Amino acid sequence: MIVSRTLRILAWLLLLLALPVQADTVLRVFIGGAAQRPDLFRTLADRYEASHPGIRIEIGSGAATSELQRKYLSVLLNAHDPSFDALMLDIVHPYQFATAGWIAPLDPYFGKEKDTLLADGLPIYRQTNLIKGKLYTLPAVTDAMFLYYRKDLLEQYGIAPPQTWQQLELAAKTILQHKQKPALQGLSMQGAPIEGTVCSFLLPYWSQGKDILDANGKLTLDKPAALSSLKLWKDLISKNVIRRHVAEVKTGDTVNTFKAGHAIFAINWGFAWGVFQNDADSLVKGKVGIIRMPAMTGGTHATCLGGWQWALSNYSRHKAQTADFLRFLASPESVRFITLQGALLPPYLSLYDDADIQAAIPWLNNAKPALLGAKSRPLTARYAQVSDVLRISTSAVLAGSLTAEEGVEDISRRLERILR
Amino acid sequence: MSLRTLLNRYQPDGQRSKLGDVSDTSLAFWLLLPATLLLGLIVVYPVAKVIHDSFYSMSIFSEHGPAFIGFANYADALRDPDVWRAVRFTLALCIVTVPGALLVGLGLALLANRPWTWRWPVRLALLLPWALPLAFSGMIFAWFFNTEYGVVNDLLRRAGVAPISFLLIPQWGFLAICIATIWKTSSFVALILLAGLQTIPRSLYEAAELEGASHWQSFRHVTLPLLMPAMMVALIFRTISALQSFDIPYAMTQGGPARYTETLSILINTTAIEYMDVGYGSALAVLLFLLSMAVSSLYLRKLYKGTV
Repeated sequence: MIVSRTLRILAWLLLLLALPVQADTVLRVFIGGAAQRPDLFRTLADRYEASHPGIRIEIGSGAATSELQRKYLSVLLNAHDPSFDALMLDIVHPYQFATAGWIAPLDPYFGKEKDTLLADGLPIYRQTNLIKGKLYTLPAVTDAMFLYYRKDLLEQYGIAPPQTWQQLELAAKTILQHKQKPALQGLSMQGAPIEGTVCSFLLPYWSQGKDILDANGKLTLDKPAALSSLKLWKDLISKNVIRRHVAEVKTGDTVNTFKAGHAIFAINWGFAWGVFQNDADSLVKGKVGIIRMPAMTGGTHATCLGGWQWALSNYSRHKAQTADFLRFLASPESVRFITLQGALLPPYLSLYDDADIQAAIPWLNNAKPALLGAKSRPLTARYAQVSDVLRISTSAVLAGSLTAEEGVEDISRRLERILR
Repeated sequence: MSLRTLLNRYQPDGQRSKLGDVSDTSLAFWLLLPATLLLGLIVVYPVAKVIHDSFYSMSIFSEHGPAFIGFANYADALRDPDVWRAVRFTLALCIVTVPGALLVGLGLALLANRPWTWRWPVRLALLLPWALPLAFSGMIFAWFFNTEYGVVNDLLRRAGVAPISFLLIPQWGFLAICIATIWKTSSFVALILLAGLQTIPRSLYEAAELEGASHWQSFRHVTLPLLMPAMMVALIFRTISALQSFDIPYAMTQGGPARYTETLSILINTTAIEYMDVGYGSALAVLLFLLSMAVSSLYLRKLYKGTV
């Protein structure tokens, strides 16, 4: 009697233990904010689940900005937490994550495919996706900063889209003088101490042909170029082309300002085009022009590469399955779907000739040359610190709590300490 | 009386102790063991680890492993202008908010102690800021002082004054953080002082009244001296927590603009957690610990001098 009961309990226990083996493999994917469109990736995940029985995909979201996502993931991954198998990372973070050992190289799962992917990708991806020769990330969506302008206003006053910052200043002043609308700003840009402000500093700096780091990661800050970069913005503020509160302005604020028709020019990421064109409350539908970033007088057109990358968590318990799912997400077919649905820029060169995508993003042909010359923010394991220095000091100069000269000294001194 | 006889006193008649015949010493050992282990695990070990790490160059983002560097982190810290600025800001915050909270708290406690009908609403209002999480209070005040949507600037606009970007200008940011901190912490001070006030016998006030003392005189010569111990307790707690200020300034300005409102705790968090520069962050944490120790020992000396 007792023996048979014991056996029965044992049988039940064994059955319970066996159950998880029967259940689906769950792959958890981190897609931070709503702007990264987890809704679209859900549709792709559904397709993948349908063709891969036994695999279930869960998408985890949270933390709207790139900085908050980095903070959240740092805490999680530093504790070797296996909660997420795949991570969507801002393009500035993989280098740091790879150095810390938080993300795993994809080479073992990709083999020759690696070369095909890199050959079709934008050239800059050879720098950002390969870390010390190993493939660590795959492109999800690409982006870069562009100059948005009000086509209707420029046409009204017979002004051509500006090619240099000087031309932009003139155009803005002319239109502001004639319009006499107190709410209308000349140029709206990011100046709060956020990630976008790193680009606000770098755009005119790069335009002078200078870099922050050389190929070996050594600091090569050019102080005169940094000074003229900060002075460009200070000068535009003093001439009221840029509003004084710019040091408070975040990405969402510039999007809203331009969308409400309150700015002649705006510096913003490519994703904003879809917002201006498609949002129900946009007052600038059909009036939006977009061109590559103006250059410093005598300089080149440089823009800041953005976008999001897929990475494999080093603490994933299903690395091979996750790598296969990432292969699916980064395939040109999946990317094409995301590009079309979200009006986002594709990371593969072949997709720039796609007729459907060209129809969905009419300015695609203008975007391509800018993207081919796009530059990556400094690639270093200490990017979090480098980014803090550039955005905090730039924002302080824009706010007027530091002079441009003090700002450059501050940046130089801090970067030297971080990158020594 | 030995521990054993003490324990036996609580044994019901006729039952022998299940502990058997253990000596007093070993019984004490076993009774103290759980607490010692727990404290060792959650206090001694982390503190020792921080002190240990502070002598290493140790960063998650370093290409090399941890390396022993002696006092180099401390030498760096003493040369780092960010550290000195954070120390100055933290001390300034202490100097303004500790007496500020004491004054406001004393007023609130006196109000709550008065035998009048409105005593209960006052006591309830006292508890409210104390019960709110710190970060939450910080966020409330961040909205109060917001340039575009804040209630303070709304009032200024109505009064015909141009709005002020409080949290973007270092001096205003400091003031805003002080106001938020005083609002939040004065209720804690008031609660301690209220408890102190309740212990003062009514007869003393009656005696003072009979002697013809004015309200001010009885406050000055009866209330204040008898409230001194409670005030010292409140001051020690308040000063230590002010030295460790993190939540309210972080929620209001994240240390901005340009790190002007960065407290030592925010700097430690940024260094050790955000930059994962564990070695340097640990050295800064040890420095904050030493600073807290120094300040509290000043108080303790004063307190002991008072009682002896």
